[in-house]
Amino acid sequence: MTNLFTSLRTVAANIIAIYRRELQSYFVSPLAYLVAGIFWLLAGFFFVAILLGPEGLIQQAAVNEQQAQQLGIPMPPVDVAYRFLQLYLGVLSSLALFILPILSMGLYAEERKRRTLELLATSPVTNWAVAVGKLLAVVTFFVTLILPLMVYQAIALSASNPPMSPAVMLSGHLGLILLAAAILSLGMFISSLTESTILAAIFTFALVLFLWVIDLIAKSAGGWLGDALAHLSLLKHYNNLVQGVIDSSSLLVFASFIFLGIFLTAQSIDALRFQRS
Amino acid sequence: MKKLPAFKYLKYLIWLGPMLMIAGVSAGVVSGGWTAVPIALILVGLALIGVGLIVMGRVDMGGQPGAWNQRSLETGANALVTTLAVLAILGLINFLGAKYVWRVDLTENQQFTLSPQTQNVVRNLQEPVKVWVFDKQQNPQDRALLENYRRAGNKFSFEYVDPQAELGLAKQFEAKNFGDVVLELQPNNKRKQFVQTVSDRDRLSEAKLTNGLEQILSDRRANVYFLQGHGERPLEAGQPGAMSQAVKLLGEKNLVAKPLTLAASKEFPQDAAAVVIAGPQKPLLDGEVQALKNYLQRGGHLLLMVDPTNTDPKLDTLLKDWGITLDKRVAIDGSGGGKLINLGPADAIVTRYGDHPITKELQGNLSFFSLARPVQSTSVKDVKETPLLFTSDNSWAESNLQTQPLEFNPPADLQGPLVLGIALEKQTAPKSRLVVIGNSTFATDGLFDQVVNGDVFLNSVRWLEQPEQSTLSIRPKDTKNRRINLTAQQANLSSLLALILLPLLGFGTAAYVWWRRR
Repeated sequence: MTNLFTSLRTVAANIIAIYRRELQSYFVSPLAYLVAGIFWLLAGFFFVAILLGPEGLIQQAAVNEQQAQQLGIPMPPVDVAYRFLQLYLGVLSSLALFILPILSMGLYAEERKRRTLELLATSPVTNWAVAVGKLLAVVTFFVTLILPLMVYQAIALSASNPPMSPAVMLSGHLGLILLAAAILSLGMFISSLTESTILAAIFTFALVLFLWVIDLIAKSAGGWLGDALAHLSLLKHYNNLVQGVIDSSSLLVFASFIFLGIFLTAQSIDALRFQRS
Repeated sequence: MKKLPAFKYLKYLIWLGPMLMIAGVSAGVVSGGWTAVPIALILVGLALIGVGLIVMGRVDMGGQPGAWNQRSLETGANALVTTLAVLAILGLINFLGAKYVWRVDLTENQQFTLSPQTQNVVRNLQEPVKVWVFDKQQNPQDRALLENYRRAGNKFSFEYVDPQAELGLAKQFEAKNFGDVVLELQPNNKRKQFVQTVSDRDRLSEAKLTNGLEQILSDRRANVYFLQGHGERPLEAGQPGAMSQAVKLLGEKNLVAKPLTLAASKEFPQDAAAVVIAGPQKPLLDGEVQALKNYLQRGGHLLLMVDPTNTDPKLDTLLKDWGITLDKRVAIDGSGGGKLINLGPADAIVTRYGDHPITKELQGNLSFFSLARPVQSTSVKDVKETPLLFTSDNSWAESNLQTQPLEFNPPADLQGPLVLGIALEKQTAPKSRLVVIGNSTFATDGLFDQVVNGDVFLNSVRWLEQPEQSTLSIRPKDTKNRRINLTAQQANLSSLLALILLPLLGFGTAAYVWWRRR
């Protein structure tokens, strides 16, 4: 019992050590800040365009209201706050599609290139702990990218009338983070397969795009195969959370993708360790 | 083990992967169906990418591909088996997870949750029911609703069918338009039930689908009696002013229209779900009125449609109990809004409806009533009355049709909006129901199928004949009407934050870190 406890403690300590090392590397890397800057700029631009701009939702609702008043017909109800969340989280997920492969590409490929992976692979730290630590670090980085966006969204949504409960906004962002964790986990595995960061990014992007549109393929496939394929679709499960529905099967799919990525990474590094010894 | 010279070229395999995948996707898109060939191409492509990456990784590692000794082969095989096992377990877990779902709907009006009535109906299905949607596109919103139904009960299924590709099916289910939704009671196509036609304007509605489900499940055939013998509207087609279209549509809803001559038979039919009196021209006999009064007192259901006539139909004693008076004047529409669709001033136009199950789904739609008389009511104890049909503000009840042009002359005329129809319900048992409409032409052949005239009639009969109004009361889930009213300060602050401060923070730190590293 004590043995199990101590080994668990070592694993936890290892994960934390890897996590801190990785996280530190983000904060000293100009590339990470550059990615953050680009992401924030694009996200900010879309925020203004969707909500505040001349074609934005607030303006649109006002124009429609005026037209309805002139024609003397009642205007169909519009939930501007909810529509905004749907549209904006949709845009954020598309942006993430491009950003995430860049974040995951260097996780292992960089170490392979710098020949530091052998150190890791042959160190007493288990491959699992390394993979989990790395994934946690990169997910943390992504969360720091998202949190500031929530600040200005909250400012906007706090002005909604009648007031809106933050539940849908929170579940949508939870969806975004789960989606990111799933993609980063798979990206980490791909990164562990190759020395070239560019190649890792391209293949991660291809894989994620494939999982994104698998819904479309599934629809025309039909039958049980169609249902099974559609269930793999990241977009479908993400949309559930964005719409404000917490569905246990969606959470399970995200968890499965995250676990699969970590497992495959550990396997791939394991193979490497044997090969080298 | 011997070094394989071909091995180092193996890594180029990887490029074959994307090519196969693209070929598979194009094959699938072009042929329009995801048969075995395109799917196999995609899967093989994926596998090749995987193999290629692994091989490449090994080659990259040491530059010496010959590291394939016995031991690494063994571990490779081990890894493969473990991986397959993990994939199988994950697949199984997710399969079960998709079957037993736990859902929380965080939206304020429970937008993505079925009403309790619907859940009840779907859970208690005894025989499989399938929904066929004859449409090329699969609207995500409709699909989500159908998936919700499927989650609610395991006897429910749905399928999207392209009516142009599957002509036989479309013909079998009599689907004529894109977006037709048809219910089928399985097995073997026992019964069919048309639900609605979905379009961009008119999405699949829970109320309609659940109503359809209830109808297809019920074996009940109810009799609706049409009183005859006083110049009422005939039921058979061919005669002027007949109601054959209405009778046919009632038949589709399991309602059998039968003629009723009270004078000839002593007994009032016991199996009457509702009685309709459509446009009597001559007065009813006292005995007949008494029989109808008795019928209502026993908990009967009566639809009364009375046109303005020269002779009084003598229904006053019956209507007095309910607090209803039939106005002798004729409703005139002075707005001129009917000119566009060839309607004159004597065709009263209705676009406003009362809040009642009969007219709930008609709100904003147009119906018209040629030569209609207003219906007036005074409240009576234990009777709940709901006005159903309102004419426009520019209408009035004309007392003298002979003087031309028609003008509103108070006090002989009555200023609109007028009420042309009222639904009444006794609040004490037996709960009899009465619908009074000051017109019967709207339900005759030729006018019945125009705009929503038919729905006014059909919904009235259905409300009358169905004592239990469980599913008719499903309210459509209205979107909340919500705006974002940002003050100038809030707008400025959030745009400043979004467009300038945050990006600047990112780029600024990047430049600073880069400069320090140099």
